[in-house]
Amino acid sequence: MSLLAVANKDFQDTVRSRGMALLVALFSLLVAVFAYVVRPQGQADQFATELLLSAFVGPVLVTGLVPLVGVVVGYNAVSGERESGSLKLLLSLPHSRADVVFGKVLGRGAALALATFAGFLLPALVLIVVPVTFNAGSFLGYTVFAAALGVVFVAIAVGCSAAVATRQRALIAGIGVYVLFVLLWGLFTGRVIGAFSGPIEALPVSMAQIRTFLDVANPTSGIEVLANGFLADQLFSGESANQQVSAVAMLVFWTLAPPLAGLLKFDRDDL
Amino acid sequence: MTAIELRGVTKEFPGVTAVSDLDLTVEEGEVYGFLGPNGAGKSTTIDMVLDFVRPSEGTVTVLGRDATVDSVEIRRRTGVLPDGFSVYERLSGRKHVEFAIESKEVDVDPDAVLERVGLLDDADRKAGGYSKGMRQRLALGMALVGEPDLLILDEPSSGLDPAGVKDMREIVTAEADRGATVFFSSHVLAQVEAVCDRVGILRAGELVAEDSIEGLREAVGDGETLEVTVDAATDDVLDAVRAVEGVDRVDADGDTLLVSCDPGVKTRVIAAVEDAGAVVDDFHTSEASLEDLFLAYTEGEGTPTRREDAGTTTDEPAARSEEVDG
Repeated sequence: MSLLAVANKDFQDTVRSRGMALLVALFSLLVAVFAYVVRPQGQADQFATELLLSAFVGPVLVTGLVPLVGVVVGYNAVSGERESGSLKLLLSLPHSRADVVFGKVLGRGAALALATFAGFLLPALVLIVVPVTFNAGSFLGYTVFAAALGVVFVAIAVGCSAAVATRQRALIAGIGVYVLFVLLWGLFTGRVIGAFSGPIEALPVSMAQIRTFLDVANPTSGIEVLANGFLADQLFSGESANQQVSAVAMLVFWTLAPPLAGLLKFDRDDL
Repeated sequence: MTAIELRGVTKEFPGVTAVSDLDLTVEEGEVYGFLGPNGAGKSTTIDMVLDFVRPSEGTVTVLGRDATVDSVEIRRRTGVLPDGFSVYERLSGRKHVEFAIESKEVDVDPDAVLERVGLLDDADRKAGGYSKGMRQRLALGMALVGEPDLLILDEPSSGLDPAGVKDMREIVTAEADRGATVFFSSHVLAQVEAVCDRVGILRAGELVAEDSIEGLREAVGDGETLEVTVDAATDDVLDAVRAVEGVDRVDADGDTLLVSCDPGVKTRVIAAVEDAGAVVDDFHTSEASLEDLFLAYTEGEGTPTRREDAGTTTDEPAARSEEVDG
């Protein structure tokens, strides 16, 4: 299948880049440093896995760094090939432009997921081997959420990449998305709610519901909701089950809609 | 069925018309050389055939299908060597060919393809370390995968050394013998002369000539120039030569007469010169080459006159002299 051929090519190309090795090293180093910080002191042999994840790995690595890495991995997916001329080689073969965009999402998403797993698991192996009680299940599960968030941001960045003609513009758009979702979301949604408070009150929903929706509409907080549910052993159950379902829906939306929007533009463009 | 058919195709980019009302037909099984200087619109035309860009007006039909609507199906049966492409620097030559095989969903041995384009020894090296000529060979190999019905080669010889040009020519000939249609562009006539059944010459987005190589040769062949050096090129001598049947045009360059004439009348021209009282010191003929014709088409201000049109130019000196008389 054409899309898989593109995905496979792109995966192989991406994992061979120097950036990939750097990424694995960076993730490993950060996880190792955080693990050292929360290491058991004195006679205690209980390793605080949940503390490691929710206080260090979560806020710094996952919701901070992983989206940025997703943008960096995705932004030149289409625009880079367009600028260098390898897109001509790619489109000389029987691929539709849709195969190219979604093949890239798949190939680069898989490459980033692989880097995340490798980077998180290398230091975790040490924790599994040394004689401390390490909650390997929680850690491994959490890694899946981290990788999923990375894939969402790859998809958004590939969408930007398909929509614009140059690498530079794609990077600007990608950074813009990162700033909006990671740094300014609370401010942004606060303003939106402030500006539309009149119309919102007329709607048959409460302000709290609107806030909850806007919260999970952001993929980073959506992943947080799911990861916290998972760590509390309440994935798709308990109080926040509805919120978790909304989060999943929004994550699927952010994985599909930006590449689709980018494709609409890319499909009409002269290359 | 025609392999490529353009009807009334115009492509406008912001501020520039790259191709203007172009009609072009490439028959199935022929080798068509698409000639023109850089910037004439050759690549834009090829880009429209491949659906990299869409025409502003007109229709493009490839292998009986609409170039935009059925582009994937067209490319499934077409091998393309694009111009100005780049390779995937981190992937080996073999990976590139494997990608082409996977993309075209055919069962081909990548080594056989690499062998054919002379890259087997370098197949496992990263393509980023390839020379320009090797990259060109690699893309040609990818184009050849799956025995395409149509081969589109955009400036295929660029970056190739003489041996590479020869290999390219042999591969084009072999593909044509297999039954494939070959459409290739070049800005150098010599590259297409040896292999093409027909050539089209594009200038400033318009097709200014389209003929077989023989046809083009005929167009210049009977336009031979006879150079006769005499002791004194007087008007009497010039008029005497002009009076000879079969002479198109006579100009004087110092004491040398430049006579455009049919090949059969050379001796009569010499006789006329001597009859007019001049002494012939030297004479020789210079044959107009295809290259001259190509340059005239692509660099001249206007379209060069063909044999049929040449008759009208013969009258010009006479007309001028009448004006002087009047």
